[in-house]
Amino acid sequence: MSSKTANPVMRSAAWRISLWATLAFACGTMVVFAFLHRFVASDIRQRTDAWLTGEVEVLGDVAEHTPKDALYDRVVSEVAELASNEVPNRLRSEGHSNDLVFFLQTDAQGALTLWVGAGRGEAYLDAIRRRPFKPDEPQDLPVAGSDAPYRVVALHIDDGSIIYLGLSEHDELRVLRNLRFRFFTWWLLLVMLGFVIVFYTTRRMLSHVREITEAASRIGHTELDKRVPVSARNDEVAHLARTLNHMLDRIENSVRQLHTMTDALAHDLRSPLTAIRGKLEMSLSAAAHGEQAEPIVAAIDELDRLTEFLNTSLDVAEGKADALRLSKSELDLEELLRGMADLYEPSMHEKNLRVRLTARGPVRMLADAALMHRMISNLFDNELKHLPAGCTVEFVLETAQEQAKLTVQDDGPGFSQEILPHLFERRVKGKQSSGHGLGLAFVDAVVRAHGGSVAASNRKDGGARLELVMPRGLAAENAEPRPVIIAIAGSGKP
Amino acid sequence: MRLLLVEDELEIQTLLRNSLQEAGYEVDVAGDARHAEQLAMESAHDILIVDLGLPDRDGISLILSLREMGVSAPVLILSARRSVDDRVKGLEQGGDDYLTKPFAMAELLARLRNLLKRNTPATGEPTRLHVQDLELDLLRREATRSGQTLQLTPQEFVLLEYLCRNAGRVVTRSMILDKVWGMRIQPDTNVVDVHIYRLRGKVDGKGQPPLIRTLRGVGYVLKDR
Repeated sequence: MSSKTANPVMRSAAWRISLWATLAFACGTMVVFAFLHRFVASDIRQRTDAWLTGEVEVLGDVAEHTPKDALYDRVVSEVAELASNEVPNRLRSEGHSNDLVFFLQTDAQGALTLWVGAGRGEAYLDAIRRRPFKPDEPQDLPVAGSDAPYRVVALHIDDGSIIYLGLSEHDELRVLRNLRFRFFTWWLLLVMLGFVIVFYTTRRMLSHVREITEAASRIGHTELDKRVPVSARNDEVAHLARTLNHMLDRIENSVRQLHTMTDALAHDLRSPLTAIRGKLEMSLSAAAHGEQAEPIVAAIDELDRLTEFLNTSLDVAEGKADALRLSKSELDLEELLRGMADLYEPSMHEKNLRVRLTARGPVRMLADAALMHRMISNLFDNELKHLPAGCTVEFVLETAQEQAKLTVQDDGPGFSQEILPHLFERRVKGKQSSGHGLGLAFVDAVVRAHGGSVAASNRKDGGARLELVMPRGLAAENAEPRPVIIAIAGSGKP
Repeated sequence: MRLLLVEDELEIQTLLRNSLQEAGYEVDVAGDARHAEQLAMESAHDILIVDLGLPDRDGISLILSLREMGVSAPVLILSARRSVDDRVKGLEQGGDDYLTKPFAMAELLARLRNLLKRNTPATGEPTRLHVQDLELDLLRREATRSGQTLQLTPQEFVLLEYLCRNAGRVVTRSMILDKVWGMRIQPDTNVVDVHIYRLRGKVDGKGQPPLIRTLRGVGYVLKDR
């Protein structure tokens, strides 16, 4: 697993599941935090506002009742200074408490009369003048030259002057910033940890599923007695494996039943056929060559055809149930085709048919040699029986990655539209056909048993086309792409 | 040649015994495995024919136990089964042969001859074959009849060589397909006949006595006298 590159990991279901789970977790916690943040911020604001309104009343009281003499400034300053020591939420570590609070008084004309605070009061007054202030309602006031806005409350005094008490939101923002920083640090850690945990758990779980899939695909129809691994835990995956195994039990049972049936049928018919054939041969050798022998010869031919029909029809029956037994070995499809073309060439020539075989060199594949021989021979027989004189049959063998593709096409009349959709069914044959209608059904059965597919169609410019695609079951080899015509046989030759 | 035939079906047993005796074999017959073991102990046989489906035991286990008893003669296995058992394949690799029912008598006899030939020490492969006035040079792949060179394709030469090696004996179509083309198929068209017809056209020229004879319903034979 660990040897795999990043790409398959990122394509895996475990990656996707953990990505989505982590995303959901992250978003959820983020929303919760947003609410918490809002709650904390408004709580701090409420406490600030309560302090401001309380203090400004005290100051207003003092300002109102203190005579406007030389001492006025000092008294009010003292009171303002005192108030600043009781600032809520403040961080004691920093000593410049005067930076945080300001007190400002204007006369009825709006001119600055008293300023208590750090720096010059004009900048604050300018900021205050730029926005309307409602009495007793604290609001935010950004001040030029200050890093944080001030929370300011105004109070109108009976003599027409207005006093402003401001508290810097510096500390409040710091508290919130701190909160956010800590939250994000923990959040990030948790999200990452969560991702890792989810990823590894799902991957572990899915690896069981993958083991099951791999085992199940290996089983196919050749290793029906094998079963998928069942883990000791009693979870869904183990349940899946057990269900799959039960299903395989049933399939194996049906397939075995089918095999027992076809084998018994074959056995029960072959023994009498052997006896009959033997008797026919005996009487043939006893009979003088001549008229007496003729019906015996015909009977032997019929019997051989019957035997072949029995074999093929049982193979087709098994093939239709995907239960055809294969005994695979490595073979060269091109060599097989060439041998078959050699074998059929004289017969084709006799009927004035041409055979053309095109291939790009050897096509090695893992297949049941006996079935493949019979299947290819069926294809040739089919053309030989159905094609009118003067036509050409073309066999084109190609390889694409892991697959071998054989195209058989001719320039004859093509398949009739009535039988085209049922071509691969048993006993389907053209009106003029003399065969038993098993040829193409057998071709289909063999190709399917090897995990391939057959498609039949009529060519646009006339003629029939069969396309057989089969997996080669071997590692791809680097056959050089050089199209060569290996054999042209037919009426052109003597 | 003494032969042990193990076959439970009476009809087939009788037919085989008659044909084998006619072909010159001395035949002992057993209807089941127990009797077969008894016969094998009593006398030595040059070759065995064993049917796989015996009433008391499986044919293969009989062969294996006979081997344990020290019977080393080659075995021709007869089977009416469809699939070839892996154990049969093992025996095939061990030098025994296998024939599916129903079969042509000619093929059974040919396989028996092959098994016996395999069992006797090889006498150096000939490089030339002679059948009457037909001569085949196996090294130069050339065939002459009455001194005249025959224009044969490589495939036709192989076919003629096979017929020459079995001169005087019947070969069936499926034997030709198997040995000449290496294919165990049963085409339902007359592909082999057409090959023979072509070959005969070249071997049996005008005015010459025909060498390749067709035995209808059985196969072909190259006359050796």
